[in-house]
Amino acid sequence: MSLFFMIVLGLVMGLVFGVALEKSRVMEPGVLVGQFQFRNFIMLKMFLAATATGLVVLAVLNGVFDVPLHPKAAAWGPVIIGGLILGIGIALAGACPGTALAQIGAGYKDAWAIVAGGILGAMVYGYNINWFKSVLDFGDAGKITFADLNPLPFWALALLAAAGLIALMVVLERLSPSAIENGRCDVPMEGADDDRLGHQVHGQPAE
Amino acid sequence: MDILTKKSWSPYAAGVVIGLLQIPAFLLVDTALGASSSFVTAAAWVAGLFDPAAAQIDYFAKYMTSSKYYWQSALVIGIALGAFLSAKASGTERANYAPSWTKMTGIRSLAARMVMGFAGGFVLLIGARIAGGCTSGHGISGMAQLAVGSTVAVATMFAGGILMSLAYKKI
Repeated sequence: MSLFFMIVLGLVMGLVFGVALEKSRVMEPGVLVGQFQFRNFIMLKMFLAATATGLVVLAVLNGVFDVPLHPKAAAWGPVIIGGLILGIGIALAGACPGTALAQIGAGYKDAWAIVAGGILGAMVYGYNINWFKSVLDFGDAGKITFADLNPLPFWALALLAAAGLIALMVVLERLSPSAIENGRCDVPMEGADDDRLGHQVHGQPAE
Repeated sequence: MDILTKKSWSPYAAGVVIGLLQIPAFLLVDTALGASSSFVTAAAWVAGLFDPAAAQIDYFAKYMTSSKYYWQSALVIGIALGAFLSAKASGTERANYAPSWTKMTGIRSLAARMVMGFAGGFVLLIGARIAGGCTSGHGISGMAQLAVGSTVAVATMFAGGILMSLAYKKI
């Protein structure tokens, strides 16, 4: 594929991604931190739906059309330590690397600082990669998937996992209905049930 | 375009749309959705402005040459454009920084929030590069491939986020 095609494709896919992040409010700092405080479940709902959809998509692409998968390595040191640091960063930034860009587009000025800090972080990592690897590269189990640890083929396990995630979403929606969560956001949402919450929504005092 | 002018979508609808983006990613780019690698591409170019030897570092060189990383850099720029369009089309306006920050941390100035955001971004990318992926690459894409390492990464990301969020007031 030509470089030009790749860039146009990236822009178009990003456009769709960005619309979905803004419309779902998953790029809101209050939604991300709210998830970590279990005050709302908007991020988890979006994440489960995206993962379940991806599982079905890849079950078909890999199972029917033999499209190769690209799982990342199960390297315990980097994954556990890096994941913890990344999680702390998400709560501090109020964003992940992708949603920081969505925040810029949506109009949050502080997101420019998040992206600048992120570029510096990537630079510091790149210059010191040998040091990071010498300290943290332990316990690499290779690029394994749960299908490798199990007699079922990938497509079957993926469909089963998708069904499990759908069941989880049904339970989650019962426990924390979206209509209530929609009122707990910094910016107004479609069909937000403000009355039922009875607290301040975007600066307007509740009646 | 009713879907664009709507103020918001259900998180499930947004998730399905993002999950479907795996189709062009795997078929046309031969990769999974991700976002944090693009920060290395940007870092490599910025480093190159000050340090001509930066391009000699294998790690930077990899992210400056492969078309896959140009695709991902275009993707994250597209994310900003998409969020801009979405907010404009629905008439959703935002403050300089989210009001939640004042509720959670007491921060009342953009400057203070930018210092915090800069530190957050730094920690975010150090973590993502150590882990080899972020909430997109390890999260949405890794779990959709049933990758064992990515599942552990998602669990530790949540653990880190929950721990840090204990320091904030309840939202």
